[in-house]
Amino acid sequence: MTATAPLPAGAPAPAAAGFRTCPITARRIHRQAELLIRVNAVASILALLVGVIAAIGLVLTRWPAVRLLPADWFYRVLTAHGLSMLIFFIIFFEMAVLHFAGPVLLNSRVAAPRTAWAGFGLMAGGALLTEAMVWGGKADVLMTSYVPLRAHPLFYLGIILFAVGALVQTGIFFASLVVAKRERTYTGSVPLVTYGAVTAAIIAVITLLHGAAVYIPTFLWSVGLTPMPDPEVYRMLWWALGHSSQQINVAAMVAIWYLLGALTVGAVVLNEKISRTAFVLYILFISMASAHHLLVDPGFSPGWKIVNTSYFMYMAVLASMLHGFTVPASIELGQRLRGFTEGMFGWLRRAPWGDPGFSAMIFSIVIFGFIGGITGVTFGTEQINIIAHNTLRVPGHFHATVVAGTALAFMGVTYYLIPLIFRKQVAFWRLAKWQPWLFAGGMVVFTMAMTFAGTFGAPRRHWDIGFSQAPFDVEYHPAVNVMLGFVALGGLTAAVSVLSYILITVWSVLAGKPYVAGAPLAPGHGVPGGLTSPPRHTADVDARNAALHGPERGILGVTPGTVVLVFIFLAVFALYYFTNWKLLSFVWKIG
Amino acid sequence: MDTDTHTGIDSPRGTWWKPAHRTEKLWVAIAFAWCMVLFAMMPLWHFKGGQNPAGIRRRVDPQAFYARTQEFIKAHQVGTDRGMPIVEPPPGSDVYLTAMSFQWTPILKLRKGAEYILHLSALDVNHGFNLYPVNVNFQVVPGYDYGLRVTPTEAGDFRIVCNEFCGIGHHTMVGRVIVTDEAGREVARTEAARVLGATDPAQEDQP
Amino acid sequence: MAPRDEAQEGETPPLGQRLFDNVFLLLIVGNLIMVAVFTGWGLWELATMPVATLP
Repeated sequence: MTATAPLPAGAPAPAAAGFRTCPITARRIHRQAELLIRVNAVASILALLVGVIAAIGLVLTRWPAVRLLPADWFYRVLTAHGLSMLIFFIIFFEMAVLHFAGPVLLNSRVAAPRTAWAGFGLMAGGALLTEAMVWGGKADVLMTSYVPLRAHPLFYLGIILFAVGALVQTGIFFASLVVAKRERTYTGSVPLVTYGAVTAAIIAVITLLHGAAVYIPTFLWSVGLTPMPDPEVYRMLWWALGHSSQQINVAAMVAIWYLLGALTVGAVVLNEKISRTAFVLYILFISMASAHHLLVDPGFSPGWKIVNTSYFMYMAVLASMLHGFTVPASIELGQRLRGFTEGMFGWLRRAPWGDPGFSAMIFSIVIFGFIGGITGVTFGTEQINIIAHNTLRVPGHFHATVVAGTALAFMGVTYYLIPLIFRKQVAFWRLAKWQPWLFAGGMVVFTMAMTFAGTFGAPRRHWDIGFSQAPFDVEYHPAVNVMLGFVALGGLTAAVSVLSYILITVWSVLAGKPYVAGAPLAPGHGVPGGLTSPPRHTADVDARNAALHGPERGILGVTPGTVVLVFIFLAVFALYYFTNWKLLSFVWKIG
Repeated sequence: MDTDTHTGIDSPRGTWWKPAHRTEKLWVAIAFAWCMVLFAMMPLWHFKGGQNPAGIRRRVDPQAFYARTQEFIKAHQVGTDRGMPIVEPPPGSDVYLTAMSFQWTPILKLRKGAEYILHLSALDVNHGFNLYPVNVNFQVVPGYDYGLRVTPTEAGDFRIVCNEFCGIGHHTMVGRVIVTDEAGREVARTEAARVLGATDPAQEDQP
Repeated sequence: MAPRDEAQEGETPPLGQRLFDNVFLLLIVGNLIMVAVFTGWGLWELATMPVATLP
């Protein structure tokens, strides 16, 4: 497999200054790349810790039986949770992914490391500044900070600094690609995982440019220098930042799926053209669906709404459906070529479920697709949004995509990063093996219960749906309170799992035992199977592959199990989608 | 036919721009067709469906909108409830509802089956119009007049819940919409009250 | 495992492959499409919206 692939001519010699040779994969790794990965990953985990503590406070408050936080603290903690998770945690992690997918995978060096460090410094400083403002009660405006709500100027400044720093590190990623190409550290095209990172990086540029466009005028207004931005212009630009940043997450997540597939089961790319086409469709069209936050806004015409929310005629949904095939298919093919060929799903049953990288990847794929993707595309429809906007269906959806999808994939890949980049054994190994299962289970309960409560109309971002202080009574269906209880239970389960993940990673990195390939592991410690016994294809892999591609295989083709799975997915999608049109048809006439 | 095996972390060798296996191409075609169905539904519903967020959209000065709302209240007020005016506009007319932290003004009394143009705007910050338990939701933005052609399809006693964070009193922001039957009578509370909780009609004052 | 592709080292790959490999082209086109279809069109709609007559 990959471990012994000969390096291209331009790859630096083993003893080249600033490089080390990885004892596991024989790659040349630039020390600066490694350090930048580490420091971005560490910052990411710290943000995650803040975010998960906030999450516990939030679920225990929305659970009416508990109502932990008073109103002002609820909205404050909600602000902190959104920013810490959706902006700081995830973008820091993505910077680490960029430094890995670029310099490390291409055997190359980080271009201008000091600039990258400056970018990191801006991100860290900006994040700390904004967190201080939020926890200090100077920015009770929620993550979206819609004008005319107004926060302390330093709140906006912190986010601007963070965004500029992210843009700098992203720029260094592009520069590193140019350097790698010029110095010929690889031949041909970049690997598919790197291509996914390129997709994420391009979307990051789109995101951050719009972020600058919205935050700089808002900051200037907050210090009294310029008039207030128009509220609809603000919402439009903010969501160009806010939702596109989630599409960075989608692209990075898919790249990580291909990476984990390769590491855990030797997943084989079926067709580069199809997989890369899907990434290109993301680049071209995915960002405009930020419009789905504006479908029931007064600012925009049906034409604008329909063209944009559809990712331009659903071309980016096509991309996701392509990945929905190619990613499981790559896993199935890799497994079949290792000899796991029994029946339709032997490849899946006999996969390394005890490898947390593998289980995290599978749960991420399934939950992202079935719960996140289907719900999102459905109420991202111009008219169906009428019954969903600002209800709990919205956070039910995006916790399935960005949390149970992207964050879970990131957690899975961390178990490989710890031995490969931090060169430590993973501590609390038994806990680590269970962590993705606990997280996935908790998040499934959380997202489905929240979505169900939202279908009754229960609002998001709301402290008290008992309306104890309102002039008129509002009584939700009793199921809603039950659902909010399940949201809390699922959320707490997931939070425990996240705290476990943080404990495992922090302990492994700070107090863990060094990982030496081949040496015995310390008690309680472990390393994923993909490193200790790398997946290898059978000796007759070419013959097997040719046979799988042969016409006698019929329409189910190379990967029959995947074909069955994607048709199940399509059926569920169609059912959920048309059910929602039916639900819409029951409400008042509105036009 | 590409039968080279490599993973996503290897550079593909040479030319990778090659046709896919026919099963994969079939999936691409099916997924594409599904995407076309998804796309067609929106214009289809726009022309044929009963629920669209199109509306009559205008820019407006928040104070001017609020003043128009006060005029509207004066012209059609029929009662009050807990200090909030109840307004019964004629079917087919323009109805004005202002959102402000933390109330919806006025209370609307509409008739089942009649169409109104419901103008939504905010005096101060963003608010969220959620009509409960119907469950329709619209963004209410200061500076914008969202004129929605609305026809109630059921009689009852409804609530407007604000579902866009608007400040510390956000969760106290609840409004009310009464829908009478086609003859103009308020429906018996029992049915609506079962779901919503009763507001005693005896509490409504007459001016 | 021996590569069996038609293209040898140094031969030009197909146009599609070269376009997909061009990161800066994708960066520019991706930004252009977004700025035109979402941002530009959106700003134009907001700027040209008529003022309410409040009938």
